[in-house]
Order: sequence, then C-alpha cells, then structure tokens
Amino acid sequence: MNNLCADIGWKSINHEGEQLCGDHIDIVEKDENSTVIVLADGLGSGVKASILSTLTSKIISTMLAEGISLEECVSTIAATLPICSVRGVAYSTFTIMHLIENARVELIQYDNPSVIFIRDGDLFDYPKQELSICEKKVLRSQIKLQEGDIMIAMSDGCPHAGIGLSYNFGWKWEDIAKFMRGMAIAGYSAKTLATMLVDECNKEYGYRPGDDASACVVKIRKREPMNILFGPPKNRDDCKRMMSLFFSKEGKHIVCGGTTSSIAADYLKKPLKVSLNFERSDVPPIANIEGVDLVTEGVITISKVIEYAKDALEDNILYEEWNFNRDGAALIARLLFEEATDINFYVGRAVNPAHQNPDLPINFNIKMNLVEELSACLKQMGKRIKISYF
Amino acid sequence: MKITVCIGSSCHIKGSRQVVEKLQELIGESAIGDSVELDGTFCMGKCQQGVCVTVDDTFYSVSPDNVNVFFDENVLKKVR
Repeated sequence: MNNLCADIGWKSINHEGEQLCGDHIDIVEKDENSTVIVLADGLGSGVKASILSTLTSKIISTMLAEGISLEECVSTIAATLPICSVRGVAYSTFTIMHLIENARVELIQYDNPSVIFIRDGDLFDYPKQELSICEKKVLRSQIKLQEGDIMIAMSDGCPHAGIGLSYNFGWKWEDIAKFMRGMAIAGYSAKTLATMLVDECNKEYGYRPGDDASACVVKIRKREPMNILFGPPKNRDDCKRMMSLFFSKEGKHIVCGGTTSSIAADYLKKPLKVSLNFERSDVPPIANIEGVDLVTEGVITISKVIEYAKDALEDNILYEEWNFNRDGAALIARLLFEEATDINFYVGRAVNPAHQNPDLPINFNIKMNLVEELSACLKQMGKRIKISYF
Repeated sequence: MKITVCIGSSCHIKGSRQVVEKLQELIGESAIGDSVELDGTFCMGKCQQGVCVTVDDTFYSVSPDNVNVFFDENVLKKVR
C-alpha cells in the first residue's frame, strides 16, 4: 500500500453524423487500488462499431478484474464478437491498462496507437514484449509506477485527425506525444488532458470528424485530502466541536457560507475580509480569513460548482470557464475536481431563519440536496468522499 | 464614512451586485472616494430586508432601484 492513486479521465467524439461512438472505454475497479481500464475501437463506425467495442471492452475488463488470464479473455472475444456481414471479419482493437495496487501497470496493446507514457515531464519509451495470442500480435509491458506518471491511450481516430486537411498523413503520433508532453507539464487533471487532446483532434478534423476519436488518460498522483465546511451546526453549542474537528484535518480547508465563515473567523480569532470584486461572474465574491485556503458564499456558489461538476462528467464544455476564472465557484471546482482525491465534507444542518422565505430560492432542503448532489458527482469522478453532519 | 453592503446569498439574489456597482460608480462620479470607504460583508441576519446596507452603524434596506435616492440622502448629504 502506498499513498499513490490514479486519476482517470477520458473523452470521445463520434464520426460525423453518427449518434453512437465506435470507441468504448470501460473501467472496472477491482478494489480500492487496482483498476482495469480498456479502450476498444470497433471496426467501422456507428452501431456496428459501437457493439463491437462495447462487447470487447466489457468482456476484457470484467474478466481481467476477476483474475482470468489474458489468453482466455482474448479467445472469448474472438468467439463472441459478431462477424461483420460486409467485411467478413469480427474486429475490435484494444488497449488495456491494468493498474495493480497503484504501484505498477500492465499495458496490453492490440493494434491501437501506442500508449504515450510521460515520466518526469519527458516521453518514456517503455519496453514492450511481443506475444501471440489466438494468432493476434499483442504487445505487453510491465512498468513500475511512480508519482507523476501519465499514460495516454487513444483510438486511431486521433492520429488520423486532419488527414487531407491540415496534414497529409494525419496528426503524427510523435507530434501528439509532444503536444501532450507540453500539456502534461502544466499539471492538468486526467479529464482535462483527455479533453484537450480530443478537442485538438476535432479541430484538426475541421469539427467534422472522419472517424471516432477517443483518449483515455491515467495520471498517477499522491493522495490529496481536502476539507470543506458548509453551513453552521444545527445546535450552536456544537460550533467549537465542528470547527476543531474541521481545522484539525490534514489538507486544504474551504469554508462556504456567510454565517459559516463568521463562525470560522471567530474560532480562528482572525478577521473576515470580504472582497467586493465581482470577477465578471454571477457568483458572489469570495472572502478571506487567515488560515483558511478559500472562503466563499454558500448556496449560490455551490450550485454553480455542481453545474460545473455535471458538465465535467458529461461533455466537459465549461472546463475553460472553471479552469481560468477567479470567482468562488471556479476556485472550488479547481480544488475539488483537479487537486483533491479525498474530500471530507463538514455539513451543518442549521436552518437559516432568513432563508425560510417563500420568495427566496434557497431553503433548508435545497441546501441538503446540494451536498448530496455534489458528493455524488465527486464520487463519479473517482474521489473518496466522507460526509459528517452537525 | 464607511458603507458596508451585504453580499451574502440572499442579498446577492436581491441584487447586491448591482447595488455595489452603482455605489462604486456614484462615489466615483461625485469624487468623494477619499472620505467614503465601501466594504462588503457576509450575512447581517436581516435577509428579509435585503439588500442590507449599513452606513457607519445605521442600517438601511436598499434595492437596485433606489440606490440613487439612498446615495443622495444618506451618503452625499452627510459627506458634504
């Protein structure tokens, strides 16, 4: 057991005019620290390709996670995949990234572009061993992982980007690797990196992709705890207990809510300084307390964070907004989505009498729902969440 | 003179942003920036009466529509 964890993020775009993606990414968590990730690219595009890649990735990830040998997985796929009536073959390429105890990775690659491996900010040319399984040429690598390692798996829609448009022969693997190396140094999360790569491909295609293109990024990082305080405790006498528990926790501290931040400021015996800088956004300004990493307003800010979280799990269109803005919601989003791996919520159940006004779109139930919604999104992002109510 | 505007959740919804921006503009126009300090605060506990504003220690209920009147009567007159 080490203190490393894997940040996994992916994005796909579909062949122009297709509703389904012929690439499929499947992630199966064996236990807390071991994960099987499969990126499969089905022959062709549309429904057929989608069926082929979904079957392939599901079968491999499920079987490998159960500890069944690779040979058996591959022969199962060969026996299961429906044969294309047009082409007379059953075919789906795949890349497997099998993370074991977050300490080492087994890469198994069949006909997809090679996994780009970035270590210490440089491209790492890892050894590959050629295997023949069911007459298929498969490459296998075993690599010991270290903090900061980044692996990028992709479908051939990425290197094919821009054929005949910006490039004669598509976006060369070497150039993609260089592009990603530049991005990786900036410290973006796996999801952001995958999005940047696929967005770039889409651009090269002139926004009319001639193939499905997908990227799946795995970033090995240290666990990073983060603590977030939201709302005053139901019983005023619990303030001190709540604050001492919150502030004794390792990691950064975020305080959300007006009354809540006054309580935190009292506890720390430091002044609460509110900024009047509206940052060209619809979120209220942030504040400052010495000893707290971030102080924001509560309900409106958190609602915006949830909007960002939902988008980040779906199309990830708003990522530029929360990656570069300086308002409370964007700052929280960066801390929670990019930096944190383990998030502790300290939620107070006090009812703010001033908010129990039917004219206001804020009430107690909405507040509690916000916590539920946000923690559900964060869980989906692969974060470990603990919620304590006061 | 110190003007404090609440920018908590409830006042935010009622338009504290517009109030702050309008006040900044009015203070600039009348060139009294040297004698007036504009500040923000979180909840004053009087959300029903928002947007909550205090001038020194006197409480006022202001809305984006009556900022001008509020400014003329309670800020400008007193400063000059």
